[in-house]
Amino acid sequence: MIHVNNLSKSFDSIQAVKRINFSIQKGEVFGLLGPNGAGKSTTINMMSTILKSDEGTISVNGFDLSNNQNQCKKLIGVVPQEIALYDEFSAHDNLMFWGSLYKVPIKKLRQRIAHLLDLIGLTERKDDLIKTFSGGMKRRINIAAALLHNPKILFMDEPTVGVDPQSRNRIFEIIETLNKQGITIVYTTHYMEEVERLCDRIAIIDAGEIVAQGTQTELQKRSDVKEAVEISFNTINKVQKEKLQELLNMKISSNSNTIIVECDINKALSKIITACNTCALEIEDLQLKKVNLEAIFLSLTGKQLRD
Amino acid sequence: MILTILKKDLKLFFSDRKAVLLSFLIPILLISLFAFAFGGIGGGASKTKPIQLLISDKDQSTDSKSVVSKLDELAEVKLIPKDITDAVQLVKKGKYVGVLILEKGFQDSINAGTKLPMELKYDAAREIEMGMLQSVLMQNLMSTVGKKSIKAKMNTYFDTNYSGMPSTMKEKIFNDMDSGNNSMSSSLGNNTMDLKMTSIIKEDTKKGNLGLIQAVAGTAIMMLLFSIAGIGGGLLDEKEAGTLKRLMYSPLKATDILFGKMGAALVLAILQLTVMFVFSWIVFGLPIFNDITALVLMILATAFAVSSFGMLLVAIAKTRQQLQGLSTIIILVMSAIGGSMVPLFVMPVIMQKIAVVSVNYWGIQGFYDIFWRNLTLIEILPKMGILAGIGLIMTIISVRLFKKNILKLIYA
Repeated sequence: MIHVNNLSKSFDSIQAVKRINFSIQKGEVFGLLGPNGAGKSTTINMMSTILKSDEGTISVNGFDLSNNQNQCKKLIGVVPQEIALYDEFSAHDNLMFWGSLYKVPIKKLRQRIAHLLDLIGLTERKDDLIKTFSGGMKRRINIAAALLHNPKILFMDEPTVGVDPQSRNRIFEIIETLNKQGITIVYTTHYMEEVERLCDRIAIIDAGEIVAQGTQTELQKRSDVKEAVEISFNTINKVQKEKLQELLNMKISSNSNTIIVECDINKALSKIITACNTCALEIEDLQLKKVNLEAIFLSLTGKQLRD
Repeated sequence: MILTILKKDLKLFFSDRKAVLLSFLIPILLISLFAFAFGGIGGGASKTKPIQLLISDKDQSTDSKSVVSKLDELAEVKLIPKDITDAVQLVKKGKYVGVLILEKGFQDSINAGTKLPMELKYDAAREIEMGMLQSVLMQNLMSTVGKKSIKAKMNTYFDTNYSGMPSTMKEKIFNDMDSGNNSMSSSLGNNTMDLKMTSIIKEDTKKGNLGLIQAVAGTAIMMLLFSIAGIGGGLLDEKEAGTLKRLMYSPLKATDILFGKMGAALVLAILQLTVMFVFSWIVFGLPIFNDITALVLMILATAFAVSSFGMLLVAIAKTRQQLQGLSTIIILVMSAIGGSMVPLFVMPVIMQKIAVVSVNYWGIQGFYDIFWRNLTLIEILPKMGILAGIGLIMTIISVRLFKKNILKLIYA
């Protein structure tokens, strides 16, 4: 549905995006994960037509973006990072205004607004001024304002910035509902848990370059990160370590009274515990080291996401 | 801590170079402007610049021609001969300060020592210029024809009342007059040298008060410029709120945004001007219904020029500081030179010439034409056309700049 080829953009001497490539399939939630300043918003701005690329091409639903801006604009909705609403207007009036820019017929627009207010759970507050809303409510109206013309693709640029966990969860539910309705979503964030929860595929972007992309499993395979079980004992001697290695036949590293066993946790956990008992080892602490994007990101970029 | 905050604020202030430049440029420019206008700077040039005065010599006698010739030699006055009908029309339209009319029988009156048939018809909107002109004319008329007229009058007086007076005595009296003993001639001359002064626009109930028109039109246009600059600031608010970016995500073109803002500014400008004139009608009795068509068109033309000026500011300024600096400097300068702050006729001639670059000038002059000069719509149309032209030029420049700068504005 979206193809990005060799896309680059510089601001003066700073190259914000460096020849990036990715494709997004219809109906998927595609995550652009990277720290602040990685080039996520610049990429979204180029994909949403308001920023010209220095080189490279973007095609949306078969349209070359550079030659068919208006067709593309009708296909896409953008949820900007800022709460881009008029504080002095009511929620309903804001939505009427933003919808009218897409020339949605008035009757259809009213129906659409009613539907979206219901979806985001703010029907009761539709006549209240935006300035009276909480941050989370504003974020939800911000999303609804991008959906008025029924776009096929939704770009969401860090849509949960500054909201409380409850509101964030509500936004996740809205996104999941939209995706179930068939909307393709491009989601930028620097929160791992959001990508892990929402995205089918992920592109990790750092310093303007895509470091890796794929499903979480594919990214895991590309990185050196493995699942592991970390066990601490009261004491463990060399003989016990050798016996444990023999019983498990897995890669084990040790440090003092702690061992780390690389394994598929779901399959191997009970076997590991049985082996510890067999070796007369008293377990003091046990931690499951599941592979998450934080670890993958660290492995692929050599730095923490919030560096 | 205070020092830290002080340093931070100064750093922020100096980071916007254009705003810094304007902060210092505004007072410098205004000081220069007012010094030039009222402080006598450049006054030398204005003193030597002659006042253009129309002359209609109906007598065409030796004496009347001599008067015209002598007056034309003066540095303070430049005489332009015109037929009386044309001359009156030109003064009425505000093109010239007045017309000096030497009526038929001018020479005969000099020879007879009777009151000289001459009249100065003038534009009351330029009373200060008229005051200067009157004193220059009186002084020179006296030296040109005054003594001849007085001698003739005295001669008649002596012949009537002192028929036996020896001619040597008469000669002595006339010689005293020539040598500067004017105490008698002054009293006699006053009767013959009266220059009839007539305002060319006759006072009537339908004509507005000149000061009121100046106050209403001048203030209305200046305040309108500030209001429109405020609307321009709205775009910067949109930028800060992120709504400008969201507008750009939609199928709108950059020019749609600009014209939308301009439309809003135009409506506001029309409303503001209308309210101000209606207020002046209700409270001060400004005769706004004299020529309602001309007034409506003039309001439209002024509103268009002013709102396009606001759009130009929007297209140029990228930060609020820049907008404030630019709008303050441009509005104050335009208002000062255009006659919003003080009437144009009190300014030096050179300033009056510069005034034509100001929207205020054309607006104020247009409203003068409607309320003071009572000109017809056709006669006022050129001023409306100039305002519309200024508006059009500023709109074209604004569109070009805005299209070029919109992304810079979003990402600035």
